[in-house]
Amino acid sequence: MLVTVERLTKTYGKFTAVQDVSFVVHAGEIAGLVGPNGAGKTTIIHMMLGLISPNAGSVRLFGKSLETDREQILQRLNFTSPYMAFPVRLTVLENLRVFAGIYNVRDPAAKINELLEQFGIGRLKKKPMSRLSSGEITRVGLCKAFLNDPELLLLDEPTAYLDPQAAVQVRAVLLDLQKSRGTTILYTSHNMHEVERMCDRILFLSKGSIIATGTPIEVTCSILNEDRSAPALEEVFIRIAGRTPDEAVSN
Amino acid sequence: MKLYRIRSVIRRHTYEVIHNANHITYMVYWPVVNILVWGFFTLYLRHGDALKPGVVSCLLGAVILWGLFNAFQRDMAVGFLEELWSRNLVSLFASPLSVSEYVTGLIVVTLAKAMVGLSVGALIAWLFYHYDMFLMLPMLLPFILNLVLFAVAMGIVVTGLIFRYTTKFQAMAWSFAGILMPLSCVFYPLSSLPSFLRPIASILPTTQSFEGMREVIESGGFSISHFRLGLGLNLIYFIFAIFFFRWMFEAARSRGLLVKME
Repeated sequence: MLVTVERLTKTYGKFTAVQDVSFVVHAGEIAGLVGPNGAGKTTIIHMMLGLISPNAGSVRLFGKSLETDREQILQRLNFTSPYMAFPVRLTVLENLRVFAGIYNVRDPAAKINELLEQFGIGRLKKKPMSRLSSGEITRVGLCKAFLNDPELLLLDEPTAYLDPQAAVQVRAVLLDLQKSRGTTILYTSHNMHEVERMCDRILFLSKGSIIATGTPIEVTCSILNEDRSAPALEEVFIRIAGRTPDEAVSN
Repeated sequence: MKLYRIRSVIRRHTYEVIHNANHITYMVYWPVVNILVWGFFTLYLRHGDALKPGVVSCLLGAVILWGLFNAFQRDMAVGFLEELWSRNLVSLFASPLSVSEYVTGLIVVTLAKAMVGLSVGALIAWLFYHYDMFLMLPMLLPFILNLVLFAVAMGIVVTGLIFRYTTKFQAMAWSFAGILMPLSCVFYPLSSLPSFLRPIASILPTTQSFEGMREVIESGGFSISHFRLGLGLNLIYFIFAIFFFRWMFEAARSRGLLVKME
């Protein structure tokens, strides 16, 4: 297993953000972490990165614990999210050079140019971040995420600020890079059609707990409690959004 | 700690200095304004007869060295605040970069910036007021070292407070050194403080440095006791600063503040 999460719990005072969550992610798969706002997706990813400490439970990545092997683990993975940003006065190239240095990328100039072209933003490399659109910043974040050829990629809503055309392009690049390098991806999105297209397996979260796991079609049939020939995660999403975890699990 | 990661932090902050005119203001403008104002004030004082010899030189030396301490502590905290304002913390701390590597890189950049300010201040004092700090530099260096070490320790404490209390604490980045100023005996000797304040003042490395500086300027002698005491105190403050920072950092991680800082 590349990722083993066991009984992970995070509370803030009386509020429980994540409750007793366990899952695994196998090498080479694209696993989707989906659920309504506040379901705990981003908190789980932040705990996997060591940015938030859990109240209980453990995260093992590449068979190692962040508590003891943080540096080796984080060298082998990468992450992007629309909620993170870059220093705005620095140019795209300067920002990526800083991160290339942190990840000790060999031949950083060539690597950065290659990624900028792949994500269609080669023309922007000398522009300061302050002059980029949200979609362009998202793509710079994706370039940063691929700088170290990660074995594991945590993508938190990677197409959130992209227009449909750019989103299609980015998904194609992601799938292409995943196939050519065998990268394992943990993917969160609110776009259920995107999740159906991208993910081999999904983990459906509601109010901090996992309520269903399986392929998109398995989750669809399980939650809707009927046979379907095609996944319908949007329908599942709408049905789940209004329920409590107990109701969903008992169903 | 990996050198290439520290180098990347240095590179990141060097880019910021190049692109952000505020850094030039901090580095050069304020040292120039301070030394000009105090310089003219000392010219005015020279007209009087009642001044002890060396007072004017002590004042100018104090302005320059306090400027160094103030700039170092402030620039370290502001350097960290820049990560926070640009929401870059998540990317940085989701990478293999460790907190100690980040702080080391920040210290190197801050030291370089503070040295620019110190040099500009000393140069203006020499050109306009014939105050040659460079002549006394070998004997002042140990006290400058102590000031820098204490500024690092205070910078670490302020950075830890910003981690924990986020931008609610950002005003401290500019004003923390000011809290220490009255007790640091920058412009007056320790003996001029009320007796009940002297024990508190004497446990500040800044006080030991400025007492030592005055001895160098007034008598030309190097006070090993002020240097040793300052260094010993710095060691204690530095250890305290590291533990305090780790405590604040873990509290921020536990409360999920690293990903919500704004």
